[in-house]
Amino acid sequence: MTALWAIFRLILRDQRTAILRGIALSLIVLVMGVALLGLSGWFITAAAAAGLAGAGAVFDVFRPSAMVRFLALGRAAARYGERMLTHDATLRALEALRLRVLAAHLSAPYATMIRVRGAQALNRLTADIDALDGVPLRLVLPVLAGISTQLLALVALWVLVAPAVALWVVGGYVLGAAVTFGWMARTTVPLSRRAEAAAQAFRTRLIDLIRARRDLAVYGRLVAQRDAVLAADDRRRNLRRLLDRAERRAGTALGVVGTVVAAGALGIGLMLVQAGQVQPAFAALGFFAALALAETLAPLRRAVSDLGRMADAARRVRRDLAEPASAKPSEVKPRAEAVLPVAEAVDLRVADLTLVRADTPIPVMSGLSFAVGRGETVAITGASGVGKSTLLLAIAGLHPVAAGHITLGGRAVADWSEADLRGLLTLLPQRSTLMTGTVAEALRLANPVGDVRLWQVLEAVQLDQVIRNKGGLSARIGPRGEGLSGGEARRLTLARALLRNPDLLLLDEPTEGLDEATAFAVLQGVRRLLPEAVLLIAAHRQVETDFADRVLNLS
Amino acid sequence: MDTSSELPSDVSAGTAAIMAPGRRHQRRAAVLSVLAGLVWPLQAGVVAWAIGAVLAGASPLPLAAALGFGGLGLLRVALTHLAEAQAHSAADAILARARTEIVANEASRATDSAFGGAGSLAALAGEKLELLAPYVSRYAPARARVMVLPLVILGLAFWQSWAVGVVLLISGPLIPVFMALVGMAAKEASARQMAEIGTLNDFLVERLSALVDIRLLGGGTAVLQGFERQAGDLRRRTMAVLGVAFLSSTVLELFAAIGVAMVAVYVGFSLLGALEFGAWGGQLTPQAGIFLLLLAPEFYQPLRDLSAAWHDKAAATAVIDEIATYSSQTGPQLPGAGGPAPRLSGPASVALLGCFTPSGRALPDIAIAAGERVALVGASGAGKTSALRLMAGLELPQRGAVVVAGQVLTADAADGWRARLGWMPQAPHFLAGSLRQNLTLGRTGNLPQALDRAAIGAVVQALPQGLSTRLGETGAGLSGGEARRITLARAVFGQPDLLLADEPTADLDPETARSVTEGLLAQSAQGVTLVVATHDKALAARMDRIIDLWGAP
Repeated sequence: MTALWAIFRLILRDQRTAILRGIALSLIVLVMGVALLGLSGWFITAAAAAGLAGAGAVFDVFRPSAMVRFLALGRAAARYGERMLTHDATLRALEALRLRVLAAHLSAPYATMIRVRGAQALNRLTADIDALDGVPLRLVLPVLAGISTQLLALVALWVLVAPAVALWVVGGYVLGAAVTFGWMARTTVPLSRRAEAAAQAFRTRLIDLIRARRDLAVYGRLVAQRDAVLAADDRRRNLRRLLDRAERRAGTALGVVGTVVAAGALGIGLMLVQAGQVQPAFAALGFFAALALAETLAPLRRAVSDLGRMADAARRVRRDLAEPASAKPSEVKPRAEAVLPVAEAVDLRVADLTLVRADTPIPVMSGLSFAVGRGETVAITGASGVGKSTLLLAIAGLHPVAAGHITLGGRAVADWSEADLRGLLTLLPQRSTLMTGTVAEALRLANPVGDVRLWQVLEAVQLDQVIRNKGGLSARIGPRGEGLSGGEARRLTLARALLRNPDLLLLDEPTEGLDEATAFAVLQGVRRLLPEAVLLIAAHRQVETDFADRVLNLS
Repeated sequence: MDTSSELPSDVSAGTAAIMAPGRRHQRRAAVLSVLAGLVWPLQAGVVAWAIGAVLAGASPLPLAAALGFGGLGLLRVALTHLAEAQAHSAADAILARARTEIVANEASRATDSAFGGAGSLAALAGEKLELLAPYVSRYAPARARVMVLPLVILGLAFWQSWAVGVVLLISGPLIPVFMALVGMAAKEASARQMAEIGTLNDFLVERLSALVDIRLLGGGTAVLQGFERQAGDLRRRTMAVLGVAFLSSTVLELFAAIGVAMVAVYVGFSLLGALEFGAWGGQLTPQAGIFLLLLAPEFYQPLRDLSAAWHDKAAATAVIDEIATYSSQTGPQLPGAGGPAPRLSGPASVALLGCFTPSGRALPDIAIAAGERVALVGASGAGKTSALRLMAGLELPQRGAVVVAGQVLTADAADGWRARLGWMPQAPHFLAGSLRQNLTLGRTGNLPQALDRAAIGAVVQALPQGLSTRLGETGAGLSGGEARRITLARAVFGQPDLLLADEPTADLDPETARSVTEGLLAQSAQGVTLVVATHDKALAARMDRIIDLWGAP
């Protein structure tokens, strides 16, 4: 619940004016509704009384009937305004929230980043935040407006009808609603958390079934996986059934409250009339107002049914937003006082370096020392698992240094700010992802430059002819690089890295999937495009080591 | 996705089929919901009688009035409760059937659906299907109430006063007319919004799986800006949908309010004696006036309920269209069930006779004897992967035949044949679960030995939680070569008679490639038939025979 409140405060901060106006309009809608029905009841009864008494001619019909028309039209207009305003404000606030969460993911530590399971993180960003739209719309606004309306009704009924009616009606509604809400919240919150987990399991298992369909079929696991998917759905179904029953009971309880309160208002009103304490018209006003006040309870049912989902989503989103603050040292560290001259900055020195496997004390390498100057190309070799990729990650500031130093331009990598470091060096990891879009969009992710430059880098990686044949820079690439062969995709990601114009280019097996001649031409193109840059290549092919000025064997 | 040409001609037939499992419950829900609505005129009667009597100077029993009104009210609440329970059962049955069908369909097809990737399908089977529930539980009962309740109330109004009846009769039919117009606009806007949500989700999945690249390329700001733009578009579209929906309900509310106000004013003037027409026997009685005033809002209420649920219908129709599109995308079926089966008897041999790739290229006839080591080579597109899939019994050839263990492969024999296979796919996909679960896949066997043979034991031990480590979908945390060797260990674990490997040494440095090659050859030394599709010349050279798929006709 604290998470819910924190999220609401966040939304309120983003959209304070709109939310406050929304609350005011919600209140107006409810008050006008109650006034409309109460006034109508009074009007009819009073008119009947006047008619029976033969005083019809002196009864002022115009003001009440004008009032009825005003309330009827005003309420509809206010309701439209309130809905548009609060929905727009909420959607805007959620948009900001979604961006914040994505930004938090983008600055998460590398180890967290690579473990993000696409499906889960996606679900968090969309479903969770979508669920949070209920926080202002279905929880806070209706509850606040409902309570305010009840308080106003207490005063109005006290003055116009009788304290007994006022206390019975408002007391009954507030008490009934509070008891129902409290009881339901306790029941539904844990249930919906479990239902959400089951839905998540269903989703993950179905995605696994689809993605690994052939593997599962060969190993005779397809049937079992299908059953596991359906079992998750069964679990969710059962929980949904319980939730739905709880929600239905809440609805019934609120219905009972409404009926009992209105019936009581009728009975008490009649008694007071017979005792001569209240005029029939005002007793009717009390009863009709009691009927109309049931409206304030209607949103509660939806609120309790969503409460569990909202609380759960709020908890996760809040945690996501909280994470980067503690885990992003690069932004906390002060920036360099002066920007170093380029010639000095490109100088890479590694001294007595020890690296360990992520989250373990198991060393990957120790005591490694070397230095590379500008314009030099060094190939790093060694068997798979010897730490070539880890070394590149450490130089790129994405893997912690256990002991020793990595310095760029005389300053430790950890001391560079994230932005300066990315401007200085570029790492092309072993697996690079291409996103859906045009070739130009894929490239401009790295640097928003003109077409001429794009063609230059494509030419450097021997891809210009291929892209021309596919229809030029506006050729579409499908999800996960669909439409390109493995070698083409590899070269396109390399071209993308070149667009950063780095002083230090770290390439992890850059020529994978290319034939010897192309591989050599590509490496030459890279060097031609970046004559001054330090090139560090985690190499596993002859052609890569042949191209290098120097080979550093880690084995 | 071209929906216009793929869509079946009769969407309502698709709706009926999807809704069939819940029909009985739905009908009960409708009846109960109408009955609940019919209680209100009785309650109104009690109130009218009590207030009328007080005005006339009689002294009705307050307790009787309260009990009468309250008792009927409780009856109404109870009927509503039952109606909702039935509606929930209907929605539950409909959703369960639709979901089970999608899952069963996905578990029995040989290739990916043209409908979309795993993410889109999970969205369809998950949250999108969920949108049918409000349609079933809110829209359908509301429609039933619209058919009955306004007519009943109209009848009661005419019984008391023809003038009130005329007011309702005139204002009532205008509402459905307007609603139909608004509904058409809402459906279009809603379909646009659904498409946009799908795009936004795809957009996000991609960016989340490319987090590392985005960071390395310093593209964070650009990506956030792009996302902001897309999210902004979605918000505007959502507001357009909501705006139409709100407008329609506002118009309804206005009609209802004007209608009720007219009734109230007429009743008021009549009771004052200012209007001498409209009632059947001269002047309107106070009872009749109050009764009519209480009834008037309920005349419009079912229409308003239906309009509030209109969005549910629009959303459900969009989902049903999507399901129809999905169902129309049929593909080849997986031979067999994909479950465990006793091993097919016969030699571990496989042959392709007169088969074709899915793109229509003829494959050469290939006959591989038990214990043989064969490399399939040829440029990409030559059909290496297709040939492996045919040999693995993952697809049945449309023409020609696959002969396994001395018999023509049929759907019945497929499970038994696959039980004898080891399989190394080109791109490993790891399941959500521990490394151990990924390796054993529910089978029993000697895990340390399998890890040993794949030369991956040391790597596994070095992982933070060893065999209990949970991997990302693409094996994040492992290098390409390590992930490849995990799939080799998984294949070896089942002690296969025939091992099919698709590019087992791609992305690997020579040393690792050699160790994977040795692992494969060690299997062959145990008598396992070995078929590799590869462009690695060193690996191909170690086989007994090389078959060039390009070279053949």
